[in-house]
Amino acid sequence: MENAFKWLDERLGLNEIYAEVLDRQVPKVNWWFTLGSASLFLAIMQGVTGIFLTIYYVPSPDHAYDSINYIMNGVQFGWLIRGIHHWGASLLVVTVFIHLLRVFFYGAYKYPREFTWVTGVVLFLLTLGMGFTGYLLPWNQRSFWATMVGTEIAGTAPGVGGFILRVLRGGTDLSAVTLARFFSMHIWILPAVAMLTVGTHLYLVIRLGISHIPGEDE
Amino acid sequence: MSKKTSATHIDRRGFVKIVITFLGTIMGVVIGLPGISYFISPALKAEKKDDWIPAGELESYPLGTPTLFNFTQTKMNGWERSSQSYGVYVLREDEKKITAFSNVCTHLSCRVSWKEDEKAYLCPCHDAAFDIQGEVIHGPPPHPLDEYQTKIEDGTLYIHLQEG
Amino acid sequence: MNEEQKKAYKKKYKEAKQEGVRFWPHIIYKDLLMSFAIFLLLVGLATFVGIPLEPKADPSDSSYIPRPEWYFLFLFEFLKFIPGQLEWVGTVVIPGLAIVALFLLPFYDKSQVRFWKKRKIGISIMGVIVLAMVGLTVRAVATTPEMEETTVASSVREQVVQGEDLYSVHCVECHGPDGEGGEIQGVEGLEGVTVKSISSRDEMYTRSDETLAAITNYGQQDLGMPPYGLAYGGPLTKAEIEAIVAFMRYTWDDRIELPPEAVIATLPAWEEGFVPSYEVEISRIVKRNCFSCHRPGKDDNNNYLMGSYEEILTTGDNVENNLIPGDLNSYVYQTITGNPILDPDTGEVLIHQMPLTKLMKEDYIKMFEAWILNDMPETVEEAEALMATPTPTPEPTTEEATEEPATEPTITPEG
Repeated sequence: MENAFKWLDERLGLNEIYAEVLDRQVPKVNWWFTLGSASLFLAIMQGVTGIFLTIYYVPSPDHAYDSINYIMNGVQFGWLIRGIHHWGASLLVVTVFIHLLRVFFYGAYKYPREFTWVTGVVLFLLTLGMGFTGYLLPWNQRSFWATMVGTEIAGTAPGVGGFILRVLRGGTDLSAVTLARFFSMHIWILPAVAMLTVGTHLYLVIRLGISHIPGEDE
Repeated sequence: MSKKTSATHIDRRGFVKIVITFLGTIMGVVIGLPGISYFISPALKAEKKDDWIPAGELESYPLGTPTLFNFTQTKMNGWERSSQSYGVYVLREDEKKITAFSNVCTHLSCRVSWKEDEKAYLCPCHDAAFDIQGEVIHGPPPHPLDEYQTKIEDGTLYIHLQEG
Repeated sequence: MNEEQKKAYKKKYKEAKQEGVRFWPHIIYKDLLMSFAIFLLLVGLATFVGIPLEPKADPSDSSYIPRPEWYFLFLFEFLKFIPGQLEWVGTVVIPGLAIVALFLLPFYDKSQVRFWKKRKIGISIMGVIVLAMVGLTVRAVATTPEMEETTVASSVREQVVQGEDLYSVHCVECHGPDGEGGEIQGVEGLEGVTVKSISSRDEMYTRSDETLAAITNYGQQDLGMPPYGLAYGGPLTKAEIEAIVAFMRYTWDDRIELPPEAVIATLPAWEEGFVPSYEVEISRIVKRNCFSCHRPGKDDNNNYLMGSYEEILTTGDNVENNLIPGDLNSYVYQTITGNPILDPDTGEVLIHQMPLTKLMKEDYIKMFEAWILNDMPETVEEAEALMATPTPTPEPTTEEATEEPATEPTITPEG
C-alpha cells in the first residue's frame, strides 16, 4: 500500500500538490468567507444535475415542454434533479452576489488580488448569462415571454441593437433557432468559458492565499 | 548568439517564432472567422414582408370602440415553419375614418390591451398608457402606437402588413 | 501603489497568516459545513416548494404578461423610470457602465485602505446600489398584476380530464357528447346543419393530432365551424386545444392505449339497486350531456345552470319542478326520457326533450332515475348509505325511453 503510494507520488507529485494546495497556512476568517466555495459547490451541483437533465431534455419547441413534463412526472426522481437545478440557479446567483459583496466590504480586491477580482466579475456575469439562457429552455409561457422581452431589451442598444437582437434570437423572431442556440450557449459555450475562468480564479486564490480580515489600521 | 544577429539576417530562433505565429494565425482565422459567421448568419438575413391582410367585414367592427383583430402569418425560422401572431386594434370612428393600431407597445414590445373603462390602451410591463388615438398618455414609451395602413374593398377591411 | 506599500501589505498578511490556521482541514471543514447547509436548503426547496407549473409556450397568446426571472426584476422595474426616448440609456448605458465600473474597481480604487470604517464613501455607494436593487425587486414583485389562473395539465391523465371539460363546454352543442355529430339544434346560426361524426374510425385514423389541433384552432369556417384558437380570435389557448385533442385521441381512437397511470375510472354499467351520487356519476353525465348549454353566459336554458350540486338544485326558472326528491315527474327526468313539458293551459311545448337532438344512453337515464328516487344524494357516502337500505320501488313511469341510445362510441375512455 505504502509502496504503491510512493510509486504514484514519484510520478504524479501528490505530496507536492498536497503541500501546495491543502497544507497551507491561511489567515483566520469568518463564515462570510465560505461563500466562494459554496458557489463552487453549487456550480458543480448545477453541472451534475444539468448533465442528468440532458438525458431526457430535447431542445426543440415541439418537444422541450413535453420532455420536461416527462422528467417531472415520468422519470423517477426527475422532480428532484430538476428541482435542484431550478433552485440551484437562484441560490447560485445569491451566493455569487454575496460573495462579491463580501470581497468588496473587506477590500479584498486590492493588491495583490486585482486580477482575481476581474475573473470574479466575469464569473458573476457568466452566472447571470447561464440564468438567462437556461430560463428559456423549459419552453413554457413564462420563459417564452420573459425571453421575448429580455432579448428586446438587448435590442434597444442604439445602432447595433437590431443586429444584437437578431444574433441572440437567430433571426427576427423567437423560434426554434433561438431555443437551439440558447441550449448550446447554456450547456457548452458558457460552461466552457466558466470552467476556464473558475480554474484561473482558483489558481489565483491558492497562489495568493485567502485574504485576511483587515484590522482597523489598514 | 542572437545579439550578434544583424537586422537583415534572421536566426533560427526568430524564424521558428515567425513560423509558429504564421501557422497559428492561419489556423485561428480559418476556424475562427467561419465560426463567427456560422453563429451570426441567421441575424444577417433581412426579411421583407408586404402583404394585405383581410380583416373581415367592415360592418363587424363597432363604431367608436377599438376592437382587437388577431391574425397569424406563417414563415420559416431556420428549419422551422412557425406562425407569428399579430394583434391589431381596429378603431372605426365614423363611416369613413378607420385606424388600425398594432397592439405591440412601442417601449419593449409587450402587448397592450384596450381598457374600455379607462379609455386607454394599457401595457402591463411598465405601466404605460396610450389614448384612443394611440398617443402616449403616460409611461416610458418613446412614441405613439404603430399604425397600419388600411383599405376597404367590397366591404372588407384590409390591413397592410409591412416589415423589414 | 509603491513598493513600500506592497511590502507593508505583505508584512501584514504574513502576520495574519501566522495567527491563522491550516487550509486543510480547518477551512475546508467550515466550507463544507456551509455547503452542506446550502445542500439541505436546496433539497428542501426542490422537495417542498417544487417548481411552479406553467402552460406550454404559446406565441399566439399575447395576453401573457412577461416577467423576467427574479434576479433580473430590478432591471425590468428600473425601466419604468426611464422615459422612452432615453430607453437605451436604461437598458444599455447604465448597466454597461455598472459592469465596467465593477470590472475596473481595483484599478481606480488604488488606495491601500481596507478597513471598512475608513472607506465610508465606497461602502455607502455600494450600499445604496444594493438597497436600490432590493427595493426595485420588491416593488416589481408588489406591482406584478395578478395573472389569470390557468389550469395546467402536467400529466396525460390531467390533460385528458381537462380536455373532456373543455370539450363539454365548447364542442358538445354541435358535435354531441360523444362526437357523433348529427343535426344541430339550438345553436344560433347553425340551426339544422348536419355535422358528421368526429369520433368515427374514418376520422380518428386519418387525422393526425396536428390536424385536429389546427381544425380546432382555425375552425372550418366554410362548414360553419368558428375558430377556437386565440390566434384567430377564439377563446382557447394552444395548451387547451392540445388537451381537447388528447381527450379526443385517448377516448375515441381505438388503436391507442392509454398509459396505465392515465386511465380514468369509467362509469360502471347500470345495475339494479345501485344508488348513484352527484359527486361521481351524475356530475360526469351532466358535464358531458347538459353543461354546454346549461352554463352561465348561455341563452335559452331557462336560466338553469348545471355546473355544481348547488346550482343543479337551486337555479332555473322552474327550480321547484326541475328536481323533486323521489318524484319522477321532475322536469329533468321527464325531459331526458323524451317527454317535453307542456303548458297545461295551451298545450304549447315549454321545455323540449333533453338533450335536444338525441336522448342519452339508457344506463345514464336509469342512473338519473335511481338518483332522483333516492332523493339526490351528493356524496358517495350518502349514496352508499342509501344503498344499504332498500330502494324505494319506482312508480310506474309514464313512458320509457324508446329511442335506442348511441351504441358507439360511449362516454368514457375505455381505451
